[in-house]
Amino acid sequence: MKNLIKIIILSLLVVSCTKNSTLPPSKVTIGGGVLIANEGNYKAGNGSLSYYSYDSSKIYNDLFSSVNNRPLGDIPYSISIKGTKAYIVVNNSGKIEVVDQSSLVSETTITGLISPRIMAMINDNKAYVSSLYSDSLAIIDLMSSSISGYINLGMSSEAIALIGNKAYISNWSGGNQVMVVNTSSDKVIDSIKVGSEPESMVIDRLGRLWVLCDGGWSQQNYPELDLIDTNSDELLKSYMFPSKSESPSCLKIDGLGQTLYFLDNGVRQMEITAQYLPAGSFIAESGGHYYKIAINAVNSDIFISDAGDYVQPGYLIIYKNTPEFVSKSRTGIIPGAMCFTLKINSLSSSVPLNNVAR
Amino acid sequence: MSYLNDTIKISEVVISTNKSALDQAGYKRTSIDSMVLSRYSSSNLSDMLSENTNIFIKSYGMGGTATPAFRGTGAGHTLIDWNGININSPMLGQSDLSLLPVGLIDDVQIFFGGASLALNNGGIGGTINLETKPVWKKETLISLNSGVGSFSRYSELLKVKTGNERIQTVTKAFYQTAENDFRYLNNINGGEPIWQKRNNDQFRQRGLIQELYFQSGKNITSVNVWYQSSDRNLPATMLTQQQNSNERQFDESVRAIVKYDHFKGPGSFSFTGAWMMNRLNYYNQLASIDSKNLSENLTLKANYETLIGGFSNLKIALDEQSNVIISNNYEHNTRRNTATITASLIRNQNRFGTTILFREILDRKSLLLPDFSAGIQFRLIDDTEYFIKANISRNSKIPTMNDMYWFPGGNPGLKNEYSFMYEISYEMKQKISNPLNLKYDLTFFRYSIKDMIQWHLGEYSYWNADNIQSVTSSGMESSVSLDYVRSHFNASFKAAYSFTRARNGNSGVADDLSARKQLVYVPENQVNSSFRVGVGNIYTTLVLNFVGKRFTEIDNSKYLPCYMVNNFNTGIKFPVKNSSVDFNFSIDNLFNTTFQSIAYYPMPGRSYFIKILVQLIK
Repeated sequence: MKNLIKIIILSLLVVSCTKNSTLPPSKVTIGGGVLIANEGNYKAGNGSLSYYSYDSSKIYNDLFSSVNNRPLGDIPYSISIKGTKAYIVVNNSGKIEVVDQSSLVSETTITGLISPRIMAMINDNKAYVSSLYSDSLAIIDLMSSSISGYINLGMSSEAIALIGNKAYISNWSGGNQVMVVNTSSDKVIDSIKVGSEPESMVIDRLGRLWVLCDGGWSQQNYPELDLIDTNSDELLKSYMFPSKSESPSCLKIDGLGQTLYFLDNGVRQMEITAQYLPAGSFIAESGGHYYKIAINAVNSDIFISDAGDYVQPGYLIIYKNTPEFVSKSRTGIIPGAMCFTLKINSLSSSVPLNNVAR
Repeated sequence: MSYLNDTIKISEVVISTNKSALDQAGYKRTSIDSMVLSRYSSSNLSDMLSENTNIFIKSYGMGGTATPAFRGTGAGHTLIDWNGININSPMLGQSDLSLLPVGLIDDVQIFFGGASLALNNGGIGGTINLETKPVWKKETLISLNSGVGSFSRYSELLKVKTGNERIQTVTKAFYQTAENDFRYLNNINGGEPIWQKRNNDQFRQRGLIQELYFQSGKNITSVNVWYQSSDRNLPATMLTQQQNSNERQFDESVRAIVKYDHFKGPGSFSFTGAWMMNRLNYYNQLASIDSKNLSENLTLKANYETLIGGFSNLKIALDEQSNVIISNNYEHNTRRNTATITASLIRNQNRFGTTILFREILDRKSLLLPDFSAGIQFRLIDDTEYFIKANISRNSKIPTMNDMYWFPGGNPGLKNEYSFMYEISYEMKQKISNPLNLKYDLTFFRYSIKDMIQWHLGEYSYWNADNIQSVTSSGMESSVSLDYVRSHFNASFKAAYSFTRARNGNSGVADDLSARKQLVYVPENQVNSSFRVGVGNIYTTLVLNFVGKRFTEIDNSKYLPCYMVNNFNTGIKFPVKNSSVDFNFSIDNLFNTTFQSIAYYPMPGRSYFIKILVQLIK
């Protein structure tokens, strides 16, 4: 029974931290915490890993280097979890650090990747990794922790969403397409034209794909939120943002697959049945720069990473879904992707006190 | 012939663009010893300055970008001049010292703080003036300097100087290439440190200077042209394990100066026209970046100076600059004009000296708040070289073209940065005995820099330039040198120490962790020393360079440890009539110290270099 609960929790947490995926379940026990990838500054090598513990309400900074006695790398961009392992995708170092989830001890490093961005677990043996600067998805053999092949997309890739035997891959940088890959054959089977620069994607409880397009960095196009039928791979609806100057990002969905969240001058909230985009923010941006969000799949707590001035340590800000402010804690430099995880058991023995901050 | 004669003789006639600047009362200025210039003739300005001055050089390694910082100020606060004309890129507002070969330069003068106001705008930290000049003698000098060293490094330097007392022509050509595939100790891989080979770090540099000088009576007309190019690959940090990104940078500069000096009675006029072109192309195959940037700068200068009453020198200078930028990183081609008028009065008597300088800048259509500087010096005892000097200045720097027009993020509404600087120093020079001379100086300084431009992330998720930073930098510098010269034996010892406390102001950001913290990559402590001995035709030099710890994060939570690097140089010179052949051997990083100047960019360990200098004089 204990193992069964553990397996259920693990599988739910995997759902939480990738841009996929299968429909989330309705119940889960609260526990564990959140791993935070602090990107650091480009080429400065000051990326780091933080962990927020639900039990102690404390944040632990600089964990990877404390535990493994070496820097994490240049731009740790995303974190995914499979089984007992956490996979930290380090973008500008071209690698994935594989660590034990409970101790953060490095197990191996997957190298040879070109500007990797996001890792999505296809099954127990296989994962896909998107790439900013290559036109292929890398296929990772999880057993050997190595690259087993590539899927040629003909364009760069960013977010990955999974449903059934399909993987949806967004062509963010300068693109306007979502590619559809058959996860059994590892072949591209379709492509869907969406708005400019599809940045993030989620799948709702009805199995539909939501694609947030930020309009491009030069603000030449209107951002839009596109809804796609994953059976027909047809575009169902486009929600157009009112101004080109808006720059929405980081689309997430709650544990029920019912409510969408994204960043656009604060945190916006939107039901999947809504006819229009939300007019105002659910949580206003108060100083700093909200950079990424994560939603607790169980209680819909909202975790916000605030990059501040992008050169000194940022913040992790937590809100209840009411939305009631809970806490604000210092992280590393440019806190980015967050991933819900199991409790890390060995923190007290492995982490020096000066890495602990409230 | 002793070792002292191994360099090109340059002392007969000094043609200076900055006569009054050199004589400023109350300011600190130093020159690089001609022997040091000779020793670094196959190197770039970055190596020479970092090992022989207190100027901190932030370097990505041999051939990599190297930028200077005076006394805790930024790279953009240091002006690099060539014969009094600013050669900093108008786009970046700074110079890459790795692109300036020492072998092409005849003299290097360093103007600290307020002293730089005598030359150009914007040298808040200071100015490094590179001089090229003729020797007004009827002779022909040909020198060929060939070198080969570790990491497949080759260099060639050819100089031809010929003419007479009326016409001189000078030609210098420089070529250098290196594979730069040195081994370094990777101590950040978690396990035992391992030796790895540096990849994608090759560079090739070419330089050519052609100068013509005409002298008629006291009047001199000169034409100087300098072509410089560099093609280099940019290596990744030690943390990168992905495929080679094929990052590459191509720099090319053409600089041309035409100058006429007219002397009449106690006064002199000088008219200068200069045209500079800087090209910087950056290519990153992996990221599909092909950045092309071209800037052109036209400078017109007119100076008038005259002696008043025997002790005073009045100088009025007009300066008009026009910049044009053609870049695929700007929305459109961009032009900027600035005009400057400077008036200075220097009074220099035996015991007292004073300098007063005012400057007004017209930036496009706006008059800026005037800059000024005032200095005083006092000779402690008649007929001795003991001085107390003090000066105060306000110096401003107009924003760079990138700060204003880079797309996206450039801010045309930026204000100019400005600084108040205070300096007091003691200098002495004394002959202790007939062959032994002592020099010593001690300087305290303080800078308060306001409205510093900083790029920060803005509303639409890209970086914007704004006047948001303030910095206070204070510290001290001290140097001592002892020279012992006999006919067949000479020795000299030089040592310099600097302490720099450069602190961020309060940015106004809540819980600002950078407030009152030391600036990143500014060492508090720095020591340079050298010991040189010459016996007959054999000479040996040992250089020590210590750099204290440098913080790499603005909250001072991480730092690079201090390091000490020793360089060794020895040679023997065979004189043949007026000509000579000089064999020189050097070892850099003698004790194979592992260090980084910039985090995760390894520097080479021990390396060797052999060069042969053949000099023919007829």
